[in-house]
Amino acid sequence: MSDYGDSDYEEMSMGGDEGGYSDDEGFAYSDQEEGVASPVAKSSKKTFIVLDSEELRERLKAAVVQVVDLLCISDAEATRALRFYKWDLTKLQEDWFTDPDAVRQKVGLLDEQPSTRRKEETCKICFESYPVADMASARCKHYYCKDCWSGYVQTAIDSGPSCLDLRCPDPECKAAVPRTVIMAVADAAHKKRYEEFAVRSFVDDQRQLSWCPAPDCQHAVVSLSDRLGVAQDIFCRCGNAFCFNCKEEAHRPVDCETVRKWMIKNSAESENLNWILANTKPCPKCTRPIEKNQGCMHMTCSQCRHEFCWLCQGPWAEHGERTGGFYNCNRFKKAVEKGEVDEQEQKRQHARQSLERYMHYWQRWAENDSSRKKALQQVDKFRGEQQEVLSERTATPTSQLKFIVDAWMQVVHCRRILKWTYATAYYTFEETSGATKEYRERMAQHQEFFEFNQGQAEHYLEKLHHKVEKDLSRFLKAKPQPGAEGDGAGGSGEAGPSGSGDAGPSGSRDQQAAWNTFREQLIGLTDVTRIHFEKLVNEFEKGLDEALKEYDAPMEDEDPGASAAAEAAAAAEAAAAAAAAAKGKAAAAPSRRVTRSSKRRQSSQDDPETTALEEETGFWQCRHCTYANDLGDKVCSVCEQPRDATGGR
Amino acid sequence: MSRTPTAVAQRRIQSELRDWLQHPPDGCRLVQYDDLHTWIIELQGPESPCQPQLYTGETFRLRILFSERYPLEPPEVTFVPPSPVHPHIYSNGHICLDILYDGHNGGWSPALTINKVALSLRSMLASNTDPRRPPGDADYCARMRGRSPKETR
Repeated sequence: MSDYGDSDYEEMSMGGDEGGYSDDEGFAYSDQEEGVASPVAKSSKKTFIVLDSEELRERLKAAVVQVVDLLCISDAEATRALRFYKWDLTKLQEDWFTDPDAVRQKVGLLDEQPSTRRKEETCKICFESYPVADMASARCKHYYCKDCWSGYVQTAIDSGPSCLDLRCPDPECKAAVPRTVIMAVADAAHKKRYEEFAVRSFVDDQRQLSWCPAPDCQHAVVSLSDRLGVAQDIFCRCGNAFCFNCKEEAHRPVDCETVRKWMIKNSAESENLNWILANTKPCPKCTRPIEKNQGCMHMTCSQCRHEFCWLCQGPWAEHGERTGGFYNCNRFKKAVEKGEVDEQEQKRQHARQSLERYMHYWQRWAENDSSRKKALQQVDKFRGEQQEVLSERTATPTSQLKFIVDAWMQVVHCRRILKWTYATAYYTFEETSGATKEYRERMAQHQEFFEFNQGQAEHYLEKLHHKVEKDLSRFLKAKPQPGAEGDGAGGSGEAGPSGSGDAGPSGSRDQQAAWNTFREQLIGLTDVTRIHFEKLVNEFEKGLDEALKEYDAPMEDEDPGASAAAEAAAAAEAAAAAAAAAKGKAAAAPSRRVTRSSKRRQSSQDDPETTALEEETGFWQCRHCTYANDLGDKVCSVCEQPRDATGGR
Repeated sequence: MSRTPTAVAQRRIQSELRDWLQHPPDGCRLVQYDDLHTWIIELQGPESPCQPQLYTGETFRLRILFSERYPLEPPEVTFVPPSPVHPHIYSNGHICLDILYDGHNGGWSPALTINKVALSLRSMLASNTDPRRPPGDADYCARMRGRSPKETR
């Protein structure tokens, strides 16, 4: 018996370090620890799995083994058949059990080797005669010598991935060259390339698999979504976040088409807008030029200490509820329409409006994008150097500083979501001429609701970003010894901590207390922000009509027992208020907030029960009905349950 | 292009030559093979099964160049101008036929021989009814001046 050209041959060449497909993992994409790397949606179930090259190979092997078992064919035949069927096991199985011979013909899995052979054959490539033992065929009747096989196979591998479909050299013969022959005749470098092509095809040919598009990233991703062809955010182990469907940067909750339209529009118009939104803005008070070199929108002029919002350039006091304001920079306000203007003027105004409208959304999209990028740099910086410094200054082991990275990553993630909500708002709430009054009213309601949610989310994100960026810098600067607090974030045009909880430079115990407060607040804020964004995304994906309907229905009791109930309730309250606002009581929500927060400032001082989180958010959550009550109130304003009775923290 | 064939190629060309001289294909005559890796073949215009008889009575010359990687690489096959007027043959003699090229869309196989190539070319002429050059013939010839048809890929 010869080693070549019969069934033993396959066993032989599969041996050694090639290793057979002997893994017992199922082909079906089973569970693995991953898939929810997203900082948002920690709680939801996995929607994708990231695979490194080793895991990918395992899966490929598993797929082959499954076919070997099912169809009782060899490894090499199974590999070839799967490749032919684009790894669609169901289709292959269906066809095979209908007519196995037809599948064999199509794929090229022949069995035409003559049972009895002469001792010698002529190689059809070099025309020399060789003992049959030194020859091989692709299980067809055409024999070639080993050298010619090797040349043929390696030439094919050099010419690219089409080598996976290699057929017998005879132009009339359709026999598929089995993997075993290739492994037996190719040199190590070519074998490696062949295997790489195989893995590549495994990923490229399957709809539920995709490569991470980041340069140099070797990871692939399995989508577990049952809705392929729809946007899906993927968070690769390399840190890249991309959309499974369009391979652009991750953009949930916005659909791929909107992203595409938006990017095209930007490339056409952003040139014109760039000069308007140059890198600097004058301080609204002292007009000194200010460069925005951090991500948070809360600016403090380094010259006159004026605090203002980078987006609207209004005083920051009007933005935070702490100072009696309300965050609504996310809303696009139409210019007041004047009464009697001639037609020409109206046209001009319309053109200006539409450009201004686009600018409004583009600016917010672009600013959030650059904030996101800066935050990403900050994460690196923190991991690189700051972590050590902070650990030393605050006497905290670096392992316990993960909450800061978490906060940064939350900022990165939320900035991205926020950015895309602006792109989508631009299209969703576009003025449509000729729409019915009813439709317009409904859209206005949607917009109100959407913007309220967006504003809430953005409000918390600003707080979080501020805290992790500015407040943290204080601890980085603080000397281990008291009395040497740094004077704000240096090097930038705007600077200075302007938030809560001043850590006085008076002794290490105070500093430790300030650090603990900071930590508690940051963790709380990260959670609250996450929940708000989850909500924003979920409601958007559900459709605003649906979301509004839900709030129309009477509120049911929150499901009890959840540890994050307080935060969840905070989000629920916000949404309920949003729904209320959308129902036409738009003025009610903001004004209620104003009174509430001003009241709070008077009364919160004498309420020792107030937690850091409540201090931060400015209200306490009723455990019974989830209503957000003023910190001064002892009894819930809605269900009249006492604050204590609703369960302490 | 015409580097010396390796020993394997040498042997293969030798045996093809032997085969050709014993059983030359219809309408083909090997007129020059002195240096072994450059052949000149004379091709009789085939009798076409259909009208019009485009090439009947004409004679064309084919130049075959064997590379050192023959037969893993296809031989370079061109007509010596004047080349037959055919929608797949440029006036500089380059031929558009898949079996003459390897790679992605190529149809070359080491199991093919010059004998089979010559037959394919004759049948390509025989089946043609359209006496025209390929589109962009002049441009192509200007661009490819002095280069191998394999460089078009």
